[in-house]
Amino acid sequence: MNQPRINRRTALKGLGGVTIGLPLLEEMLYSAPAAAPASVPVRAFNVFFGLGIPAPLQTEGFQGVLEPLKPLRDKLLIMRNVDQVRCDQKGINAHFDGASGAFTATPPDGEARSGGASIDQMIRRTHYPQGMPAGMVPTLVGGTYFRRSRVSRYVHSYNPDGTVAATIQERPRDLFERVFGAVGVPDDNNERRRRLKRSVLDSVVDQYKFFTGANSPLGARSRARVGDHLERIREFEQRAYTIKGRHPQAPKLPPRSDVAHEGKADPGGEGIDITLDELVTEWRLMADLYALAIQCDRTRFGAITFLAAGERIRLTGEYKYAGQTRYQFDDAAQLKASGSQGCSHEWWHRFNEKKKNEQLRAHAHMKMREVAWFLKRLDGPESLEANGKSILENSLITISTESGDGRHSDVKRELSGVFHAISGAGGRFKTGQIVDIGAEGLDVYNTLLEAMGVTQRLGPPRREMRDVAAIRA
Amino acid sequence: MKSVSGFVVSVILGGLLVFPVRTVFAVDDAAQLPQRSGAATDNRERPDTPRSADPQTSPLPQTTPLRVGRNLQVLYDFGTDAGSRVKDRSGVGPPLDLLIENAQQVRRSQGALEIRGKTLIRSDKPARKIINAVRRSGEISVEAWVRTARLNQEGPARIVTLSQDARQRNFTLGQEGDQLQARLRSTKTSVNGIPAVDSPRKSLVPRRIHVVYTRNRSGQAALHIDGRRRAARRVSGDLSNWNANYRLALANELNRERPWQGTLYLVAVYNRALTPSEIAQNFQAGPGAGTGELVQVPVNPGQRIFEQRVAPLLARSCLECHDAVANKGGLNLSRKATALRGGKNGPVIVPGKSSVSRLWRLVQSGAMPQRGDPLSPMEKSDIRRWIDSGAPWSLDAIDPAVYAHGRRAADVWVQRLTIPEYIETVRRTVGVDITEPARRLLPPDLRADGFSNTAYNLNVDLKHVDAYAQLAERIVAQMNVVDFAGKYHKGRKLTDDNMRALIAKMGKWLLRGPLEEHELTTYRGISTTVASAGGDFEEAVRYIIQAMLQSPRFIYRIENQRGDGTEWPIGDHELACRLSYILWGGPPDRELIKLADAGELQDRTRVAEQAARMLKNDRAVQRSTQFIHQWLDLDRLHDLQPNPRRFPNWDQRLAADMQDETRTFFKEVIWKQQQPISGLLNAQITFASGRLAAHYGLQPKADGLTRYDLSQVPGRGGLLTQGSVLTVGGDEASMVTRGLFVLHNLLRGTVNDPPPCVDTAPVPTKAGLTQRGIAEARIANVSCGACHVKFEPLAFGLEKFDGLGAYHKADEHGNALREDGNILFPGRDKPVDYKTSAELMNLLASSQRVRESLTWKVTQFALGRPLGPTDARIVAKIHQAAERDGGTYASLMQAIVMSDLVLMTRTEKTQ
Repeated sequence: MNQPRINRRTALKGLGGVTIGLPLLEEMLYSAPAAAPASVPVRAFNVFFGLGIPAPLQTEGFQGVLEPLKPLRDKLLIMRNVDQVRCDQKGINAHFDGASGAFTATPPDGEARSGGASIDQMIRRTHYPQGMPAGMVPTLVGGTYFRRSRVSRYVHSYNPDGTVAATIQERPRDLFERVFGAVGVPDDNNERRRRLKRSVLDSVVDQYKFFTGANSPLGARSRARVGDHLERIREFEQRAYTIKGRHPQAPKLPPRSDVAHEGKADPGGEGIDITLDELVTEWRLMADLYALAIQCDRTRFGAITFLAAGERIRLTGEYKYAGQTRYQFDDAAQLKASGSQGCSHEWWHRFNEKKKNEQLRAHAHMKMREVAWFLKRLDGPESLEANGKSILENSLITISTESGDGRHSDVKRELSGVFHAISGAGGRFKTGQIVDIGAEGLDVYNTLLEAMGVTQRLGPPRREMRDVAAIRA
Repeated sequence: MKSVSGFVVSVILGGLLVFPVRTVFAVDDAAQLPQRSGAATDNRERPDTPRSADPQTSPLPQTTPLRVGRNLQVLYDFGTDAGSRVKDRSGVGPPLDLLIENAQQVRRSQGALEIRGKTLIRSDKPARKIINAVRRSGEISVEAWVRTARLNQEGPARIVTLSQDARQRNFTLGQEGDQLQARLRSTKTSVNGIPAVDSPRKSLVPRRIHVVYTRNRSGQAALHIDGRRRAARRVSGDLSNWNANYRLALANELNRERPWQGTLYLVAVYNRALTPSEIAQNFQAGPGAGTGELVQVPVNPGQRIFEQRVAPLLARSCLECHDAVANKGGLNLSRKATALRGGKNGPVIVPGKSSVSRLWRLVQSGAMPQRGDPLSPMEKSDIRRWIDSGAPWSLDAIDPAVYAHGRRAADVWVQRLTIPEYIETVRRTVGVDITEPARRLLPPDLRADGFSNTAYNLNVDLKHVDAYAQLAERIVAQMNVVDFAGKYHKGRKLTDDNMRALIAKMGKWLLRGPLEEHELTTYRGISTTVASAGGDFEEAVRYIIQAMLQSPRFIYRIENQRGDGTEWPIGDHELACRLSYILWGGPPDRELIKLADAGELQDRTRVAEQAARMLKNDRAVQRSTQFIHQWLDLDRLHDLQPNPRRFPNWDQRLAADMQDETRTFFKEVIWKQQQPISGLLNAQITFASGRLAAHYGLQPKADGLTRYDLSQVPGRGGLLTQGSVLTVGGDEASMVTRGLFVLHNLLRGTVNDPPPCVDTAPVPTKAGLTQRGIAEARIANVSCGACHVKFEPLAFGLEKFDGLGAYHKADEHGNALREDGNILFPGRDKPVDYKTSAELMNLLASSQRVRESLTWKVTQFALGRPLGPTDARIVAKIHQAAERDGGTYASLMQAIVMSDLVLMTRTEKTQ
């Protein structure tokens, strides 16, 4: 892989693509200290990786597949034995259930809805009840994934009504444009024309305000939907008219993706061939850009996905870690199959506690390496904040998965022992430990919410919350 | 005269009382009036008793409806015969009672208040509950049963008024000589409610009459006398300028300067324009009738528990083992007869006695359900209460498919235009083809619940906002905006009058309904900005159109969703839009708008005529192809990547050919041949390019798309034998995937996903082992068979088609392939055998279950949301109506738009 690390400095030098207009640049990169807020803002992000880590492998700590997280161990709390069984829904694919339960602790509600809000959105609504500061991306959702049959497999940020909190950006270039890009209208030096266009936009804003206001004829869900639209219009407005000029050193658009996207990424569940280099290049560019968005305070909430739930790829390539070759991926050949039968997904179905599970271990290790890549972006010098701590330390970063290790014939076991890890969120939670939680994900999430100042709770309304004291600092 | 108020008939829909009527039996020829309970029954003592129907021309109906109760705000029925207080008996919110001044000027009797001299009957506080409700809804109905004392009262003399004095009001209903007059304040009228609506000369007569004034959101106002519309006019603007401090008064103006004398029998105000049929209903009911929703209709609570709680619970937790197929322990809980009969060990339900019912005991102890989660205490309680109430069973059968989407299926979401709808809307409103840039700039509409027009999933991203702005500029750049504006208004000056007139008319067309005052002001603001920047008329119109093209009223299908939590008749322009987007996938045409303007879409006959007209238009054909495209997910074909080693001859162009085949076949069967929709499954024709014909093993006739008769072609014929469907099974032609496709899409069956331990990857074939052999092994497996028997045999008839739809008699290993099998229709306990693929297709095409499923799919697409339990009864009626008319796509669409799913709208209770 040839992907250079992207940070605020390298962004200025360009990412190797075509230069685009970036009206945000001046504000974003040159305001001192380079968009880092004076006080540490509340942030919450969900990091999802597909297929999970079988519970027996979690017990191996940093000696096993969790090894790549070891350099970050002092800034993470690794949680084992977290139970998501309540997310199981009869008649629904377990990958889908487990993935929907990650960060929401609720089963899915239809093909494209979760059963409730994700923790990042609960926190966002508490701390920013009037919406995010002008021009900020309200919720940023991005990811590198290929299994697409149901939305919850890859989107991990949800509104309280269960709809997705934001459209997922699946190409690095899309995410870049979503965060930093100029919108189509404004590159117009004619002041008169700008003024008239502004008048049009004002009228559009007025209309959306009416339909979200007290006299709107719309019901609550619809008003929320139109309210989302209004929030994006305000973003558009900010980009189009408030921030002026194009910086001569504007960064460049990331190169186009070489990997499959949209429908071609998931040809009927048959899986795709992909090399490790292609996968990691794509993901790291995505992860770097996402981290850059956080560093530049362009977003404070959202989710990022590295491979979907029940992911189907036929991976090939040499896997190196710490300078050593750890494994040679060649799923289809090793599985002696093509199509969906030749996908890495099969290693999870073949997991057997009493065997070496070499292939699964290699895949899971690689996933942890890539999750760590993202987390490290938030922990480097570029991520130091006003209080001397890194963004990783100051934010609530929750890492989880779908479980789905395939060991058990019992669904209840399938959704128990789901891997979770969190960062310290400004000292609110313990770090530097691996703990056996022995609690429901719902209670873990509600404990997180309470510590983050959220009064509302996830889960059934009358259910009494069980505090998970083991995670509190 | 005597009348006997009989029993109350109620219809339960999803547990809700939706249409109560009271049966009245005429016992002698003088019987004319339904009576309120407790009211005097002998009208000989009360000469003013209203004549709700002329016995010479209107024979007494055998059933007299109760009064309409929905959206009632205040109701004065003068039910007490003494005192100085007139009670608001609406039962809605805090009562707005009225106080009588100069009580000696009135004479009270039960059910009547006679005003004999100058007085004022007014509320002791501002009528906020009326004012707030009407401001919110933009609609009103003022109803009164009255008898004037004389025909020379003028002013108008106030019968009912919500006002401050003789010059400032929110509304007034009054008498002007032998006419009635209604004044309503809006942002387009004077504060005195001028211009008013006047009934014709001599329309007021000195006998008891029924008067209703209505005004809807579209601005249609009308006066009805004795159930007939006698006057109508447009009262534009919105009601946002209603004064919140006015009081409600009867028989005089608040400043006491417009007295009226006569007798009041009933006064009511609604925050909704009653429909003509509702007005007729109230007229028929008479002033003494009860209000439907306020009457406590005895509803069997057990029946409600069964439909709302127990049936979904049984579907979710019990039928997996105890339906007609699994029938464990000989117990089938999906039907009343079998459920009450019980299993091998005898009855499990003893109606009225949960304590001796095994079902309750097993559930209570947690012994059942054996699989899945135990029932919650609430769920257990539901079962016990249901049994104790007699275990009423009001459904033919419990169909798990009805509950598949849960109660949230009925959630109301505003619908954003899909990309095809946006393109069509632009084309039809401004005549610009924006297809290419719209498809390029707008993010794709993502599928949810089987379609990509599912409203809850039509969210927005920054890219949408950016795209709509860019597209608006591009659209306007392709228009001659001055000519366009000239269609609506001739003036070309940037003056206020001229621009407002233009904006009102042009906006009504672009935004699919009349504009409200705040909208006029907003768009007028653009033209003033242009003017102040030295711009001209052309530039102003250009920017105004750009703004309108980005308005939520353009991007979304805005409807009123607020009310009292019940279903309301939909407004005129909203209905015009529903009709056009459902039938055409685009905006209403001028004829529909004209009818909506005139309020004629309240007439169901007129709606039916319009639907019939629209279904003859080519736009309906284009819309229907969107259905087949989304239902079968034809976009999927572009993503096919078959294994080149296995399919070395695959030509990617075949994917497009398969799309064309299915779309053309659909149009031929549905529109040209007008076959029933189920004919798609066994029609013996297809349309193939030369390339696709060769792929199918047919003798190519031409390079381009050509019709092929398949009546002599073994195996092939019908939708399921087309490449667009056969490819769902992947390279291996998975019987699981194909079987599930048929189960879910044609049989509306449900089956649980495999437990996660199961290796779901298709098993490869080999010499001596075909796909069918693999499937039969799964069906024979104790762990897998219970579910797989429901769907894999559905694919047996397709075994001769490989993963890309080519036909073979043997597989690559030389194994002979078969096409016989059996089909188990959901709800049935025995499968039906078929010998050939053609027989399978005929079985499917003739299956009632399949036809119902097609109705469900089309209805879901039409509504843009999944269907749930509360829709089931209406969908069943739609299906019956469509079948009566031949079961064609056109008859189904006609039945859908004539159903309450389209003609009514679910409102959300406003606090």
